[in-house]
Amino acid sequence: MAGFIIRRLGVMALTALCMTFIVFLLTNLQPNLEKLAKTQAGARITDAEVASWIDRNGYGAPMLTRYGEWLGVLPAPLATDADGRAVGGRCLRGHPGLAADEVPRFCGVLQGDWGYSTKFRRPVTEVIAERLQRTGLLMAWAFATMVPLALIVGVLAGMREGSALDRGLSTLSIATTSTPEYVSGVIFVALFASSMVGLKWFTGSAKSAVEGATFQNFTLPVATVALYGMGYIARMTRASMAEVMTAQYIRTARLKGLSFRAVVLRHALRNALIAPFTVIMLQFPWLLTGVVIVEALFVYPGFGDALVQGAQNNDIDLLLAVSVVAVIVVLATQLLSDIGYALLNPRIRVA
Amino acid sequence: MTTPSSRADTRSDRTHPAARMYAREHRAGLMDRREFLGRATALGLTSAAAYALIGQPEPARAQTVPQRGGTLRIQMDCRELADPRTYDWSEKANETRGIIEYLAELRRDGTLRPMLLERWQANEDATEYTLHIRPGVTWNTGEPFTAKDVAANLDGWCDTSVEGNSMPSRMAAMVEDGKAAEGAIEIVDDLTVRLHLLRPDGTLMFGMADYPAAVMHRDKIGTSVADHGIGTGAYMFEEFKVGERIVLVRNPDHAYWGDGAWLDRIEFLDYGTDPSAWLAGADADEFDVTHETVSDFIDIFSALGWVESSVGTSSTVVIRPNQEAEVDGVRPYADVRVRRALALAIDNSVPLELGISGRGRESRNNFHVAPDVHPDYAEIEAHRQDIPEALRLMEEAGMMDYEHELVSIDDDYRKNTTDAVAAQLRDAGFKVRRTVLPGSTFWNDWTKYPFSSTNWAHRETGIQLLNLAYRSTAAWNECGFRNVEFDALLDQATAIADDTERRAVMARLERIMVDEGVAIIPYFRALYRHAKPGVLNIEMHPKYEINVHHLGWA
Repeated sequence: MAGFIIRRLGVMALTALCMTFIVFLLTNLQPNLEKLAKTQAGARITDAEVASWIDRNGYGAPMLTRYGEWLGVLPAPLATDADGRAVGGRCLRGHPGLAADEVPRFCGVLQGDWGYSTKFRRPVTEVIAERLQRTGLLMAWAFATMVPLALIVGVLAGMREGSALDRGLSTLSIATTSTPEYVSGVIFVALFASSMVGLKWFTGSAKSAVEGATFQNFTLPVATVALYGMGYIARMTRASMAEVMTAQYIRTARLKGLSFRAVVLRHALRNALIAPFTVIMLQFPWLLTGVVIVEALFVYPGFGDALVQGAQNNDIDLLLAVSVVAVIVVLATQLLSDIGYALLNPRIRVA
Repeated sequence: MTTPSSRADTRSDRTHPAARMYAREHRAGLMDRREFLGRATALGLTSAAAYALIGQPEPARAQTVPQRGGTLRIQMDCRELADPRTYDWSEKANETRGIIEYLAELRRDGTLRPMLLERWQANEDATEYTLHIRPGVTWNTGEPFTAKDVAANLDGWCDTSVEGNSMPSRMAAMVEDGKAAEGAIEIVDDLTVRLHLLRPDGTLMFGMADYPAAVMHRDKIGTSVADHGIGTGAYMFEEFKVGERIVLVRNPDHAYWGDGAWLDRIEFLDYGTDPSAWLAGADADEFDVTHETVSDFIDIFSALGWVESSVGTSSTVVIRPNQEAEVDGVRPYADVRVRRALALAIDNSVPLELGISGRGRESRNNFHVAPDVHPDYAEIEAHRQDIPEALRLMEEAGMMDYEHELVSIDDDYRKNTTDAVAAQLRDAGFKVRRTVLPGSTFWNDWTKYPFSSTNWAHRETGIQLLNLAYRSTAAWNECGFRNVEFDALLDQATAIADDTERRAVMARLERIMVDEGVAIIPYFRALYRHAKPGVLNIEMHPKYEINVHHLGWA
């Protein structure tokens, strides 16, 4: 077991390294650096000013060197003016006014420095921590709604395949999962939050949820995320349940004279949950990046919004950190689902 | 309420001779009241004195004094800050106006109001300005605000070596060899600065009231106020989150010089660029004021019971070919016939209707001077759509088969206006491909697109706009328009303090713009803002200015 986890962690580090290198390559293409210079020093600066900005702020070195600086294995050069004052360089970002001899030589991931967000003007770790917390809250509520609802719907639909209940619930879950979030979200806002219809039960903006999530301001974003994911999990659960219900041992249990209720709850359920378990675990990474649309729609400044803002503004350090987080989340949930699988199904051994 | 300007009224200022001349012109019907007031206050007259010159009482301002205290929440993009001289968005200045202030302020009616200056005077030919600094103003560090600060800022405004510094173009009459000319800025005493201009410039004070001209502490020039918070204003940042929200609260340790600063707390909330998100926020009661309400949302916000305010401006969307841009090795727009053909294919009332739902007024012709807004507007022949002539010119240039790529930003009115132009070009028989870029990438190359639309903000006079965007050497010359005759006329017009005389030159400048087919300038916009009932002094400003010191609740 320990070996398995260590191997998985190794894979994780390697994947993160490859991933960040690709992101680094793309965000450091010359046009992207010019774009960065313009967002930083003013949209309307001249080409000569762009070039001098790029050089002075430590974006001028060869790409591999700068990737090494980001990792913290190479020292980052510091630009100084005629009087020896520090005027720019990787390690100076976010610390204006630091004297030249106080600036550290190394400031990369290995030193625990994830860099400075040029868009949000704060250290990347602060931005990521805050945004992950917010998205975490949204995801937690979405999961708390989605998973139980989906399992109930799936089990009810799957235990009597072809019944009216099955048909009804299946239609519902197909409808919810085939309605994209940007459609259902807009419909929810129009129906329940706008002056147009006048119900105004909830608010169509979750911006105030940053200050404290309430039933009013958080229901619609949670419902939008949860409904979309729910249909999918419910379909998986239904299929799995329907399959289990046709198995030999269920017939045996029925023939023994056990009630339908006991058969479903005690014999079918545990086996039927193995397949949806993987699907549920796969929802984690999907939710982390899939909330982009919901966060934009409801003006909720979370992780997805940071990703969009980072990409729009070519915020190199932020995008690198975002991709590391994404890699960790994807691989960690896979690890968890492998371990969870073994617990649910004694026939599988993790080795 | 004693306003800074009425306090200054008690002084017996020597009336500027040009102001008397403007007053005569106004009485003779050569100049309307708005432009008279703008010109006269730019020369150093108080607005009351200006009104007195034309025999009218100054209209009472701010009949309702706001209550002291309260919180106001304003929907606005929360942008990152840098050196104020490099501000490229008025939002940035709105964020900091509660901390770093301006020498003077442009009012909604086009007049200038003294702020950190108590008053100023210009000599007869507008080559020498005397700036009198308001006594009793202190920095929030406790230091007094003096002539040294003003001189240091003026020096900084003239420095062209700073990346993105847009102030030198406004201070051009003092700039020599990339910095303030030798002896141009003279400190007379602690509270007086005299400026010696290289050439006459009657618009200098408008430049000092413009949003990048925030006055920084003399030791902090070139820095962002977010890093140290030093300023003369009554407020300080409590929270500063780019793209999210910015909170200003009254600075408890600072004695503010003015009467304002009614509110305890101002929150700027970022709802992104989608107006439907703003509407959702308004419906959710998350803010009290919009920064700018656009297009169909103007009626929707009014229907919510919010108070609408609007102002006519010279802001517009310029749809321009770049004469120097190369596409596949050729310069499609170097040929004046191609440019004229594009302009002639357009009926300017259509972009006005389809782009901004008629919320503005049609331009007279394709030149960048706004009727009824700019004091130096000169009337020349009106634009008329002429498709046969457009086809003839394009045919003659051999460009009928060329596919024009028309680029615009992805938003509401700019996209729709550009679409309307593209549709008319297609109707005329030209090939047009539309490219719509998101706001974050559009601005990276905005001067280089071969054919694209750009929104231009309001400027107080037409000559300022022509200098800023169409002079050969201008950094923002996005048309690639380099014309020796035009430049010479610009020099001539800039040096003329007298409007009637300037108009003759302006007419020639305007005609060159039309004849050269420099750009399609279909309309001038009116700007709208909505606020909940009870918010005072938040009326829409032609330059989107929000001075948080003036705001308050009834």
